[in-house]
Amino acid sequence: MNPKYRRLFIITLIICTLGIATQLILMAIRDNIVYFYTPNELINKYGINKNIKNKIRVGGLVLEDSVVKNKNFVNFTITDKKDEIRVTFDGQLPDLFREGQGIVAEGFFQNNKLVASQVLAKHDENYMPPEVADALKKNGAWKGDK
Amino acid sequence: MIPELGHVFLVLAFVASIMQIVFWTYHINSFNELALDILKKSALLNCIFILISFLILTYSFIISDFSLLIVSNNSHTLKPLIYKISGTWGNHEGSLLLWVLILSSFTFLVSYKKTHNNGELLFSIIGVQTLILCLFLAFILLTSNPFERVSAIPIEGRGLNPLLQDPGLAFHPPMLYVGYVGLSVSFSFAVGALITGKINKEWAQQIRPWITIAWSALTMGIALGSWWAYYELGWGGWWFWDPVENASFMPWLIATALLHSIRILETRLIFINWCILLSILGFAFSLLGTFIVRSGLLTSVHSFASDPSRGIFILIILVISVGGPLILYALKSSLFREQKVQFNLLSKESALLINNLFFTTATATVLIGTLYPLFLDAFNGDKISIGPAYYNATFAPIMAPIILLMAIAPFFNWGKGKSKNLLKIIAILITTSLVSVITLYTIDGSSIFAIICGSLSIWLFVGVVSDLIIKFTETKIKLNKVSNLFIYISKNKIGMNIAHLGVAIFLAGVTGEQFFKTEFSGRKNIGDTFSIGNRVLEFKNFETINGPNYQSEMGIFTLHHNSKFIGYLKPEKRYYPTEQTQTTEAAIISNFLGDTYIVLGEGNYETGWSIRIYFNPLVSWIWAGAFLMALGGVTSIIQNKKTFNNATKVSLNEI
Repeated sequence: MNPKYRRLFIITLIICTLGIATQLILMAIRDNIVYFYTPNELINKYGINKNIKNKIRVGGLVLEDSVVKNKNFVNFTITDKKDEIRVTFDGQLPDLFREGQGIVAEGFFQNNKLVASQVLAKHDENYMPPEVADALKKNGAWKGDK
Repeated sequence: MIPELGHVFLVLAFVASIMQIVFWTYHINSFNELALDILKKSALLNCIFILISFLILTYSFIISDFSLLIVSNNSHTLKPLIYKISGTWGNHEGSLLLWVLILSSFTFLVSYKKTHNNGELLFSIIGVQTLILCLFLAFILLTSNPFERVSAIPIEGRGLNPLLQDPGLAFHPPMLYVGYVGLSVSFSFAVGALITGKINKEWAQQIRPWITIAWSALTMGIALGSWWAYYELGWGGWWFWDPVENASFMPWLIATALLHSIRILETRLIFINWCILLSILGFAFSLLGTFIVRSGLLTSVHSFASDPSRGIFILIILVISVGGPLILYALKSSLFREQKVQFNLLSKESALLINNLFFTTATATVLIGTLYPLFLDAFNGDKISIGPAYYNATFAPIMAPIILLMAIAPFFNWGKGKSKNLLKIIAILITTSLVSVITLYTIDGSSIFAIICGSLSIWLFVGVVSDLIIKFTETKIKLNKVSNLFIYISKNKIGMNIAHLGVAIFLAGVTGEQFFKTEFSGRKNIGDTFSIGNRVLEFKNFETINGPNYQSEMGIFTLHHNSKFIGYLKPEKRYYPTEQTQTTEAAIISNFLGDTYIVLGEGNYETGWSIRIYFNPLVSWIWAGAFLMALGGVTSIIQNKKTFNNATKVSLNEI
């Protein structure tokens, strides 16, 4: 290949690759982003009926006395001390899941309930997911040291 | 008293490094052998100072000296010895000390490698390395002193995060750091070339082993981390596209690109500027990784006590050590004259070029996925997370063509040379791949991605094996003795083949784990029998056990496969009283075909226990593949050294 064509070939190749990659990234970002809300933000944004099609994450504290374990799944409530969201989950809860603990649940809304595909709690007694800590600080419900 | 000594040695290293930098900048335009010699010796000195300091910290961990803040925060007398030692780098301060220890060791090794005959370049390399060292020492001394004392000495330490008390994780950070820091050497080579304004094929030959070492170590480090996540976190997965994982994966991708482009530079003396840019970027990504992990910007097991001032400090280091060279690059890169080389569309040059284009694009997709949530949060406060689905839709389609190319590119020739065998190989590849597509479709045609992924693996495997066979027949050795195999290996450059074979095996593992995984979860009591595929498990017993620093609840299960007894599975839930933490220890029976992976959940004798079982086909191939990649890297270093020595001999004879 002579240098002129080579340069043309290289430039075309780069433009095509970058173009396709950009397209892929934009599509993937549009389809696969998971927004995080606190119960309060969620209700403010989507109202009481919570008509949401996308996968979302909801974070907050597990409400005291709200955990009900059935044979195959567990129901509980996430609260940010203002609003509450019911969650149902059929998987294995993380080690540090307990009432009063900050957690994040990820899943889809069905019948006014968050059907969680994943429940996250970190492996540290004092750990609070940062999003949850921020939200609680905003609500004035934060009891931590910072 | 002893810890203070450690601190003193660290300060000494810092002061020495400042003096060396002053000395270096003073002599940079009036280079002479004596100055080089002084700089070489002082590189050794730095290394010794830091080593002493590191050993003192390790010693403090071993004797559980709780008057030190990080020891009392991260250690405990009851902890097994190996985790006392690994506790040295299981925290922010200690891990940074390990970082600088590795950095100064690399500097020393570079300065004493005999193959150097370009003193001026070496002088600049050591100077740049020392500059980085100095910045990091300042960082440690100002924000993260590992030798800080506590006023009230506690009787007992707070223990190490139990998740980190694990053999896989004891060696994951050192390995990863060798990779991260190893990239500083190629960075310094690039900056050195910019300073001296000279680049030649020898430069490329000298830089290549360092890139390869860093790349191999990075591969192993990432694989160890992933292996640990697989068996320790109890989620049954091995890669989560977590920002912290991405932070180590991006330098790996850039290093992979560099590893390939340096081949073109070495052979053809083209793409000089591109290689320099990649060398700078590789280390930039290492620093970015360190920044992401250390700043506490993201939360994970990796972010120890986070402190915003530390994050800002690392950001400053990042700006200085990447911004400076980039400016230098803008000013000086036009100096380098490239050779006028012609090459075919189907040539090694084109293939390596496409490789680089795709690898850097792939890096960009990972970078965007990692940083976009942070930008969005800073920009309008929206909190989002980007999960595996994003990467499956961007990263995977970009990598697929690379695999296609990887199988055939080794048969291309340099420049305008005809590529013999190429048509034959492509015919073989297409035939075998068609067979594999049909086979996979008949096994399970439900997922097109499974078929693509599996066929790519076979495509690549056949490609690598064909290349090996051709090389083999060309060397004309009979394989009637094992020793001949060694002769064959030593006569051929097969490092690349081993690494590519690793990729094929890795892909096979990914196919099995991603698409053919089976899962079962439910509540079971003692005496219950249940099955997953044709594997039958029986819940035999439940026991409580006291470990050295934990209490454990253990379920005992038997595993039968096709009514043959395979073994016992003993998943545990451990409670660490010191750390007040519970961990899940999955039990795994692993073999060539796949892993039976069981996790014990909460429960009691009345209701039974919640239990989750996975069968992960071929999952161990993932790490076997990664290991082969690293092995390929090491093989090519050894073989390269041989040919390099021969080459120098030849050139001496010519003179």
